Formats: sequence, structure tokens, C-alpha cells
Amino acid sequence: MVADAVRFPLLSVITWSPFIGALLIMSLARHRPLLVRLIAVVTTGISTVLSLWIYVAYDTEAAGFQFYEKLSLVPPLGISYELGVDGMSLLMVLLTSIIIFTGVFASWTVQTRSQEFYALLLALVTGVYGVFCSLDLFVLFLFYELAVLPMYLLIGIWGSSGEVRPRGIFAWAFRETGVGTKEYAAMKLTLYLLFGSAFILVGIFALYVNAGAASFSFLDLEAITFEFGVQRWVFLAFYVGFGILAGIWPLHTWSPDGHASAPTAVSMLHAGVLMKLGAYGVVRVGMGLLPEGAVDLAWLVGGIACINVVYGALSAMAQVDLKYVIAYSSVSHMGLVMLGAATLTEAGLNGSVFQMFAHGVMTGLFFALVGLVYEKAHSREIFKMGGFGAAMPGIATAFTIGGLSSLGLPATAGFVAEVLTFMGAWRSDHRWWLWPAVLGTLLTAVYVLRVVRQIFWGPPSPHFHDLVDARGPEWVAIVVLVFTLVLFGMAPGLALVPVDTATVPLLARIVSP
Amino acid sequence: MTVTSPFALEIGLGVLVLLVFLATLFARGDDRRAIGWLATIGVLVVLAGSFLVAPASTVPPALGGMFVLDGLAIFAKRLFLIATFIGLLAGLSSTDPVFARRSGEYHLLVLTSLLGMCVLASARDLILLFLAFELMSIPLYVLSGFVKRDAIAVEAALKFFLVGSVSSAVMAYGLSFVYGAAGTTSLAGVAKAFAAGSPLLVLGLLAAFAGFAFKIAAFPFHMWVPDTYEAASTPFVAWLSVAPKAAGFVALFRVYYEGAGERVVAWIPIAAGLATITMLAGNLMALPQQNTKRLLAYSGIAQIGYMLVGFAAASASGTAMVLFYLVAYVFGNMGAFLVVDAVARFEGSESTAAFRGLAQRSPLLALSMLLFLLSLGGIPFVAGFWAKLYVFWAAAAAGLYWLVLVGAILTVVALFYYLVIAKRMYIEAPERAARIRVAPTLAIALLLCVLGVVVLGVYPKPLVMAALRVATPLF
Repeated sequence: MVADAVRFPLLSVITWSPFIGALLIMSLARHRPLLVRLIAVVTTGISTVLSLWIYVAYDTEAAGFQFYEKLSLVPPLGISYELGVDGMSLLMVLLTSIIIFTGVFASWTVQTRSQEFYALLLALVTGVYGVFCSLDLFVLFLFYELAVLPMYLLIGIWGSSGEVRPRGIFAWAFRETGVGTKEYAAMKLTLYLLFGSAFILVGIFALYVNAGAASFSFLDLEAITFEFGVQRWVFLAFYVGFGILAGIWPLHTWSPDGHASAPTAVSMLHAGVLMKLGAYGVVRVGMGLLPEGAVDLAWLVGGIACINVVYGALSAMAQVDLKYVIAYSSVSHMGLVMLGAATLTEAGLNGSVFQMFAHGVMTGLFFALVGLVYEKAHSREIFKMGGFGAAMPGIATAFTIGGLSSLGLPATAGFVAEVLTFMGAWRSDHRWWLWPAVLGTLLTAVYVLRVVRQIFWGPPSPHFHDLVDARGPEWVAIVVLVFTLVLFGMAPGLALVPVDTATVPLLARIVSP
Repeated sequence: MTVTSPFALEIGLGVLVLLVFLATLFARGDDRRAIGWLATIGVLVVLAGSFLVAPASTVPPALGGMFVLDGLAIFAKRLFLIATFIGLLAGLSSTDPVFARRSGEYHLLVLTSLLGMCVLASARDLILLFLAFELMSIPLYVLSGFVKRDAIAVEAALKFFLVGSVSSAVMAYGLSFVYGAAGTTSLAGVAKAFAAGSPLLVLGLLAAFAGFAFKIAAFPFHMWVPDTYEAASTPFVAWLSVAPKAAGFVALFRVYYEGAGERVVAWIPIAAGLATITMLAGNLMALPQQNTKRLLAYSGIAQIGYMLVGFAAASASGTAMVLFYLVAYVFGNMGAFLVVDAVARFEGSESTAAFRGLAQRSPLLALSMLLFLLSLGGIPFVAGFWAKLYVFWAAAAAGLYWLVLVGAILTVVALFYYLVIAKRMYIEAPERAARIRVAPTLAIALLLCVLGVVVLGVYPKPLVMAALRVATPLF
């Protein structure tokens, strides 16, 4: 640890590099769109290279938190800027890097106010990195807010409103809210997530006050065993607070609206990374600090996760707007993530973390592709489109691979995650959880294959002409994401070895508190 | 050079009031705005003078303990002076002929009210407290109806005056009970009687509480606020929305903490209840507002609710956090009102629609408004975040977790209406392309507010420590 402290502050550089990029963009690149993109590529590139580096350099033998940095901010209150990654956060940092790096390329074509767009996007990413790296709960909360707030402007200004409006009784019930528009989605998403952060804040305070140790440090709090009553309600507060971001039913409704309305890179980042941030919070902060509470409420977490899996899949089947299908599939897959965590078994928890990664990459790929399709065809309505495979073979192939990973085909990352989760469910105290999970996978196959067939491989639609395949920088996103998806499907050990070093101690605390 | 007289600041202000009075007597012509400069600079001089006063511990109480210049008093006085300085500075550039012609009256009244606030902050005796309260309030009634040919302003002033007088009467009635039960008007004596536990005393203090609640505009004593704010001139409202509220809180600390001694926890349920309904009512009623001044009026009521959360903690840290909150509120709320003033002067409309596309017309003005709104909403890296956080913290430390949860959830409601303005500024397209011109003095006042919000947001520690230092002796 001591040797680490004086080393090059890798995690700080990873975290703040995009933020510096945002400042540079705001100050230097007025009316120079190419420079904006260049700065964005370079600064996120630095983070990506360094996160690959720490991924390789992480010592899985030693395990625990590495690349540790600490800087005392407010000593009397025990607030410090304390960073460190273990096997779990390591994978999440890598995921964030992959998604933002490809996201920068996927939003190459943003025309209006692109300077502000990239600046906000990069500021947001700093928040995401910060949450994954931070070991101080208070600073974690600050980063969390930083990750949530720019979303309002990103969706409100650069988002797109859906073509499909509610009909019948729903149209009447929502007549004043402007449901389906980007303004509505932006407001809903922001308020839901801030509502969640209220619970998180109360939970953090409760831990701080009850610990009596005048420290917000995760490492200090981990050493304390809280009273059972406190554990129960604080775990519930964290579950609700972080869970909203992870899209737990019935508080998930911000997610389809938000993801469908957001511009491509923001959808990628939000569905791909920010929702994981919620699940990560439940596992790291909730289960890590409150093991007894986690055991006591596992039935709730798992039960709701089962509803998520099935409900999300059924909702996805009913959608006619392509972005909504992907958004609801996220709700369903996040259910699998939470289910894996709720099993409190090694396989399940590993599956959960692996699913976070696999789903992050997969949904990032989906949103990137949907963005490309929308840009070329100017439509998101599934049944208007058809036969795009001939005109855009690259996009079609990538979409199909993503779809296969989504339904858990062997040799894709999705398969590994699902099998591990199923194993965990079977070994847990609630064996019946397996059935909703399997049912969800079957339903996923239905809606994914339906969409793929209709849009790409079906008969050509008469509405569209002169469609072209992806080109130039757009390929970067597709290639990187597909490659990652297949690589981690073929060699899951790449991720599972470090993840295991983080989940085993976590479970050890839960089983023998 | 240090000043050891406890009355130094009041004497300074009194001299300033006389100077302004004399200047008004000798001023000629229809444009007497120069008097405004005299008052503004005078306030700045008194503010600078406040830093020459000897350390609080070395200044002896005067008038047999009625008048003290302790840490709390000096902290509060500086706050009033800063708020008044910003308010007067922003009003200097007003082009309204009524204000130009009657500038003397206007500034005389503001300064008199300020004098009342300063005395109030030092009062440790019920009679002096009540007198100071009235000295502060009566000029405010006049100022709200300053444009006396405007029927709406007169109506708002009358409403303010009637409700204010009734609440003063209730307060005096309550304080008479307190005197009856305690046999003394000094707060130290009241604290002794309170420890003995007299029901009459509690009844009296409760009645007086209603009077204070009116002054800080807590629900359900808030009904004068939206109408008065909407009708009165904006720079004055900016000041009205912060300075008298701060004074009200200082008086609350004096009477209900110093006057309760050991048994201060007795007030926790009442304060927590009042905090809850005030936050709830303020936030919910702000939701449908279309006029920015009314919106800010209701949001101000909600803000008072958050400060009451800190008051409900009934601890040194709670008091300190309310003081910090007040400072953050001074900058955030005044700033927001001043932006409304800038936009309204140019657009001739105070509705939220006037903010359409402001980010593309005047990016800096829009950014400062965004900062103020985020500060009021309690978002990290601006002052309001720490304010809310510290207040919640104090409440959590006092075991009021439910109150923290209610408050935290209601901040989400509040963010909705703040974000509606943000949406108008940043997302919607402008109707006209013209850049909004801001008068130089108003721009300086705005800059001061932005600085306050940002500096406190990035580095709140010194002020927190100062607030803790002045709050600790109260307990």
C-alpha cells in the first residue's frame, strides 16, 4: 500500500482525464468541431489505454484494493479523496473506457452545439469513473451526482422524441405530461435518479453516524459490524437508491423513456454503464458494508429481479419502436444482474458482475447500431423498416452478433453470464428463481430474433432508398464492441479471474459475519 | 485599531441614516439617484468597519446584559450588511422614475430596517427584541408599497402590513405570558424559568413562535410572500427575501435556544413538524407557477423549511449549519432574483417564458442563473449543496432520519421547477436573438453572488468552521 501511494496516480488520471478534456473543449474549441472530437478522442483514449494497463497490471494473487491513492480533504469529518480498485471495479472501469471511447466515435455526426455536447459527455464520464474508483462514500456520492446531472441537458437538447405516441386511455392519462418527448424523458430520468440519490444520501449518513468512527472510508466502515436493525433499513435505503439507477421494477420506467430519447452516445453510456453503476452500488456498498441486511433482504432483491427479467422481456416484445425494444431489454438484463447478486453464491455473484460487463458492451453495441440505422433511415419504427441487411451488411452482421449474445448463445459473453447466473440461482436458497431467469432468456430470443429478422433479413421495405453501410469513424465503435463481446465470450477467464478475487472475500463476509 | 464598543456598528449605521436623511433634505431635481451611491458606499464602509470590532469575547455586554455583541451577533450583522450591500448595488441602476425621484426615502427606509436587524441580532432581552423586530418590519411594509400609485403594490403592501401586524400582536401577547411566567424579560431569566417547567411559559413561547414563523415565512404564515414579492420592485424583493429571514432565524436562536437553556430539546418536535409542512407546502405550491418571482417566492418558503430542519436539530452543529445555509441562501436567492430583474428589465416580462433560449442569447447570464438554481436545488459544487448537506447532517446526528428523508425527497420536487427554468434557458430556442444588456452595477452585484455561490461550493470549510465557532457558545 505504501509503495502504491507514491506511484503515478493512475486512477486519478483515468478519472480526471475526460474532465480536463471537457474543460479544454469549452475553452479552446469554440466553432472548431474537428478539434472538439480530437480532444475527446485523445482524453478518453488516455483513460482507455490506462484502464487496459491497470487491468493487465492488477495483481490477482494479492487481490484487494490496488493502485491506492489517498488525499485528505476535510480531516475533521473524515472525508478524503480515496481511490482504489479491486477485481470488480477493475472490470467496470474497463467497461466504462470501452463504452466512452466508442461512444465518442459513435456520436461523430452530432451537428448542433457539438462543443457543449462533448464537454457534458466527458464531464459525465468523469463522474462514472469516479464512482467506480472511489473508496470514500462521500466522494462517491459527489461523483454519482456528477454522473447523473449532465444527463438532463444531454437528453433535453440533443435527444430525439419518439414517433410513437400513446393511444387510448394512456394518451388521455398522460395528455399534459408530454410523454414520449425528449423533454419529458430528460425530466423523468433526472428526477427519478435524484430521488434515488436522496435514499443513498440518507444511507451514507446513517452509516457515518452509526459507525461513530468519523470516517466515510469504505475500508474503515467495512471493518465495523453494524447492528442488525440498522443493517436492514440502511440496506433497504441503498437498494432503493442505487436500485433505481439499476432499473429495478417498478421504479424502472425512467429507463425506457430516457434511453429511447437520448442521443446515441448517451444511450450507450447510460444503458451500458450508468445502470451498472446502480448494480455496482448495491453490491459494493449495500452488500459489502451491510452483509446481514443483504442476507435478510435477499428474497426481496431476488424476487424483484425475477419480475424485472420477465416483465422487461414481455415489455420488449410489445414495442414497435426499436430503441424501446433495446431499452426494455436492458430492464430485463439488469434483472439478471440483480438476480445473480441476490443469490449470494460465488457463481451467481460472478455471473452478476460478468453480466454487467457483457450487457454493458452488448447494449452499447445495440445503441450504437440503432443510432446508425436511425441516422441513415430516419426511423425507429420496426415495422416500417425491412431488408436493411442488403444495403448495410456490416451493421446487420454486428446487430445479429449482439442479438445472439443477448439471448445467450455460447461463444458470446452473454452466454457465460447467463450460465453462471443460472448456476447461482440453482445453488441459492431460492431455487425457483431459476425458472423466471430461464423464461426471460427464452422471451429474449423471441424479441431479439423478431427484430433482427424484420429489420435486417426480411423482405425489403418500400419506404427506404439509398441506404448505406457504416463508414469512417463509425466502424471503430462497431468493431471494438463486437470484438470485446466475442473475446470475453471465448475467454471468460480474462474477466472472471480478477472478479473472483473480489467476490470471494465479499461472500466470506456475508456467510460468516 | 480595534473598536470595543458593542454599539459601534449601530452607531455607524445611525450616522449613515442621518447622512442619507440630510442628503435627501438638500437634494434638488427629479433624479436623486446619487443618494443611492451614498447609502451603498456607506453600507460597505460599515461592513469594513465590522472587521475592526474587537474579538467577540472581549466586548462586554451592555445595558445590563440586554445587548451583546457575541460571535453570533457579529456573524449575523455581517450577513445583513453583505445582503444589503448587494441589494442596494443592484437597485442603483434602476431606471424607474419613481425610484429616481424618491431615492432618499427608499434608502432611508432600507437602512432603518437594516438598523433594526442589527439591533435584533444583539438583543438578549424580550423588550429590546420586540422593538428591534418592529424597527426592522415597519419600513418593510412601506417599502413593499413604495410605488404608491400602483394598485397591486399597495394591495400587496396592505396584505403584508395587516398580516404582519396581527403576527406582531400575537408575538407581543405571547411574550407577555413569558414575562408573566418568568418574572423577567431577560433571556437568561427565561431560561431559568423554562428549566423549572411552567406551562404558561411554554404557551407564551408558542404564541411568540407564530410571530417569528410569520417573519421567516414558514407555512402556514407565508401567504403574504408571493403577492408581496410579485408586486414589489425586484432588487428590493431580492433583499427582502433574504435579510429579514436571516434576522428572524437569529431571533429564533436567541429566544428558543438561549431562552430554553438545558431543555432545548423540547422544541424539536414542533420545529421538525413546522419544517416538514413548510418544505412540503413551499415545494408543492411552487410547481404550477409561471411567474418567476412567484416561483422564487414559493421556492424561498421551501428553503426556509430546510433551514428549519437544521433548527429542529437543536444543537450547535444544527445552528451552525443554518447559519451556513443562510449565507448560501443570500447569494443563491438574491442572485436568482437579480437575474430575473435583468431579464425582466429587458424583456418587460417576469414569466418563465421570458427565459426562452437565454443560453444562446446571453450565455453568461444563463450560466449564472443555472448556478443559482443549482445552488437553491442543492447540487454539488455550488454553495447550496453543502448547505443542504450540512443541515441534513445535523438532523441525522440528532436522530431525525425521517426528516432528512422527507427533505431529501422534496429536493427532487424542487429540482423539477428549477429545471423547468433551466429547460427554458438551455433547451428551448430563443424568440429573439438580441443579447440582454445588464447595467454595470447590476452586473457587479450578480458577479458577487456568483462568486459567493461558487467559492462556497468549492471551498466551504472556512465558513463552516466560523459558523461552528459562533454557534457553539449558544449551547
